Amino acid sequence: MERRSRENHALFLLIAGLLAWLIPGAGYFLLKEKKRAIIIFVTIMLTFCTGLYVGSIGIIDPVAAKPWYVAQIMNSPMVAILGHISSGGGFPVYGRANEVGHIYTGIAGLLNLLCIVNTVYLAHQQRVEWSRD
Amino acid sequence: MSVAAFVIATFTAPQELGTNPQSIFMLLPLTAAIAVIYKATKLPTITAGNFIKETATLFGSIVVFIAITALTLYALAWLITE
Repeated sequence: MERRSRENHALFLLIAGLLAWLIPGAGYFLLKEKKRAIIIFVTIMLTFCTGLYVGSIGIIDPVAAKPWYVAQIMNSPMVAILGHISSGGGFPVYGRANEVGHIYTGIAGLLNLLCIVNTVYLAHQQRVEWSRD
Repeated sequence: MSVAAFVIATFTAPQELGTNPQSIFMLLPLTAAIAVIYKATKLPTITAGNFIKETATLFGSIVVFIAITALTLYALAWLITE
């Protein structure tokens, strides 16, 4: 019984984390933290889209800019689709637009990583409190 | 051109950004995003007034710290080169 409860707990944390990665803020929505979810979704999407607007989708480059791509993919697995489109080299971007675009999209991804970790932590805390009650 | 095609087109060509002193202001939206996300994860309960106050305080302190760092580095560079 206790083992099953522990497995369910781990599964819940995994779902919360995956949901938070799939759609920024969705993990908080699962935890019924709607205000937090909306703030995080809007802010991360705006930051990511600003980066894309400044640098074009050419800044998502899984081949030539791998370290940046690792940070960018933390926004959502859907970034991989953009990476697939731009990996052919059809969207060249250089100079300041390249730098700013990378910084904005990379920071948006790292902020979402912070939110994913926080979601999993909150999910754990909620479950522990429920089990106590 | 449809609205959707126009929106997609804006994301397929990079913008012209000069390397002028004004481009430093590109850090402000990013700083705001960092302050908003940090406070959204850290505040135990979110109310409009409290959230805006806390976020503005963090945003201001980051900008002031960056300005102090920039001025210190500028002064150091001036002292070394003069």
